[in-house]
Amino acid sequence: MKKIKKQSVRGLLEKWQKDFSVFVPSKASGSSQMAVWDGQDLAFLDRNRNTVVPPKANFLPNIEKMFGFRKEEDGYVLEPADEDAPRQLIFGIHPCDARAIAIIDMVFRDAYEDKYYLSRRQNTVLVGMACAAPYDNCFCTSLGFGPADATDVDIMLTDIGDSFVIEEITDRGKEAVAGAKDVVEATPADEKKAGEVKASARAMLSKEIDTDEIAKRLPAAFDDKSFWEEIAAKCVSCGICTFLCPTCYCFDINDEMLKDGSGARYRNWDCCSFAVYTRMPAENPREEKWRRVRQKVYHKYSFYPELFGIIGCTGCGRCIRQCPVNWDITETLNNLPAGSAARTEEKQKPS
Amino acid sequence: MTKELENKLREEVRNLLEKGKVDRVIGYGAGSLRFAATPLIISDKADVDRLIINPFIHNNLSVFLPDVSGKVAIVAKECDARSIISLVQNKQIPRENVYIIGVPCSGIIDLGKVEKLTGLDRDEIDDISWQGDKVTIASAGGAKEFTAQEVLADSCLGCDAGGFREFDLVIGEMKPVAADKELIRKRIKDMEAMSPAERWEFWKNEFSRCIRCYACRQICPVCFCDRCFVEETEPQWISPLPRWQDNLIFQAVRMMHVAGRCTDCGECERACPVNIPLGILTGKMEDIVEELFEYRAGMDKDAPPLMAAYQPEEAEDLIR
Repeated sequence: MKKIKKQSVRGLLEKWQKDFSVFVPSKASGSSQMAVWDGQDLAFLDRNRNTVVPPKANFLPNIEKMFGFRKEEDGYVLEPADEDAPRQLIFGIHPCDARAIAIIDMVFRDAYEDKYYLSRRQNTVLVGMACAAPYDNCFCTSLGFGPADATDVDIMLTDIGDSFVIEEITDRGKEAVAGAKDVVEATPADEKKAGEVKASARAMLSKEIDTDEIAKRLPAAFDDKSFWEEIAAKCVSCGICTFLCPTCYCFDINDEMLKDGSGARYRNWDCCSFAVYTRMPAENPREEKWRRVRQKVYHKYSFYPELFGIIGCTGCGRCIRQCPVNWDITETLNNLPAGSAARTEEKQKPS
Repeated sequence: MTKELENKLREEVRNLLEKGKVDRVIGYGAGSLRFAATPLIISDKADVDRLIINPFIHNNLSVFLPDVSGKVAIVAKECDARSIISLVQNKQIPRENVYIIGVPCSGIIDLGKVEKLTGLDRDEIDDISWQGDKVTIASAGGAKEFTAQEVLADSCLGCDAGGFREFDLVIGEMKPVAADKELIRKRIKDMEAMSPAERWEFWKNEFSRCIRCYACRQICPVCFCDRCFVEETEPQWISPLPRWQDNLIFQAVRMMHVAGRCTDCGECERACPVNIPLGILTGKMEDIVEELFEYRAGMDKDAPPLMAAYQPEEAEDLIR
């Protein structure tokens, strides 16, 4: 492992700025998100809690031009928006958000390869930072990893006070650190300290879910209408939990056209909580709110594991913390009706 | 004090459910995060003891009324009660189906302001206690004292409670909030002092952050349209893409649509995950409505809705 003094990180960021757009956790715009480093602010070195808008916005922007078009005599001519995705380096991403990117990779690399997403992905270096202060809504340890897990980043930093211990995880990570000034070998004492910091962050998490029990209960709970109606009663069907979810990837596609027939095709975030979701191509099969709330839970905890073998949630808790009515997915997951009882109850009830 | 009120509320609600006077009760329960309260919709008297009252019950519960069936009792601060009457005025709910339980409110503590003042997130704060006009906030770094005005929600600073006559029951004694009209007017005055160009820049900057999650619209009790103009496609009024221009049009039109129905409860601004100061718009709009029409939404259930009632003898003929 290596290390760098905190006061030298500015130099490292400046070095990276020559090759990349460097993104850091920032509140400068008025909301909390990953933003291009202004060359000044370094507050995130000492205090870095999850941003409100997740870093998925760096891969799946809320406004993305797919291609332009114009009308000629014999039809439309497409003008690909093919400028290469910018080389970006995301500094200070937490393990939960890095895991989330790895999770949505599976969708965008599936049967159809999404070149827009993948070209951004291929041109990005993720510099992770072990999460030292999880929120009271966090439950990543229940999802098979933890606040200091380095699996999904290129480089991992752990704050040991006056320095960061650096783990180079991927070749891309090694390359980014290579030749950096002020990066030195970490001592065994530094590594020990980093281990302690990681363990203490893990110990700070208090929220828990039991994924085995959830997997057992979900199949039968699906038909328990009264359970879902009760769970959904206080949801107001806004888009906060999905838009701010680091693993929600739904998008809508729209053409914008001038009278002369020229224009462009764009995509933007979409949300299964909205009553108008999918109404453009056909209709929303989930007119009632309880069906939409159920969909969100099942997509993450049932359909995603079936399709890709992993739960589509990283326990970052944004859906809980940002929800205007404090709807809490862990309460739903921890109170799923037990299989057969739920089924019977549903069948006995007159509909 | 809070405990007494809670006990009284629970007793009254139990009574209403037992006697079959209402089928359901909409109130507040304890939330899952520190200081959080959450809407609680119950029909079983076994759940009555989950009802709470404290200075963090910010939600305007009237947003749930059109969707909850049967006779419904609802726990309401005076500002929220005006939204209920606004819904009645606009024929969204029949008055006789709602039983309004007024709770004394000295104002709601705005956790966003607490976070700004202390530099801490809410889960890093151990305790918030409120005595008289002082609020003490305790954390690992020690205790700090603030005036109530510093931490109260903007909508509470502008509160002019009193004079509302539509409660079916009041728990405890209704007392006016420690309002500070000058303080709440400050944001609007600052805005009024700007040149049109500065104002344009200001809102351009604010609306550039909007992600179009529609939380402001969904949390709003008087945004009750089944279909919102933003989702119309023929014609398409605004682009679904969250560009600042379209975001601004969305909000400007929304404000015009709720003029005369909005009570400036503050929920849209509190719900916004990217901190757009929507309260400046709702506050100014309420001022205009009052100034031009001497009208306050939700005060009189028999008063016609401001923007949805028309008399044939009216001078303006634009509707004829």
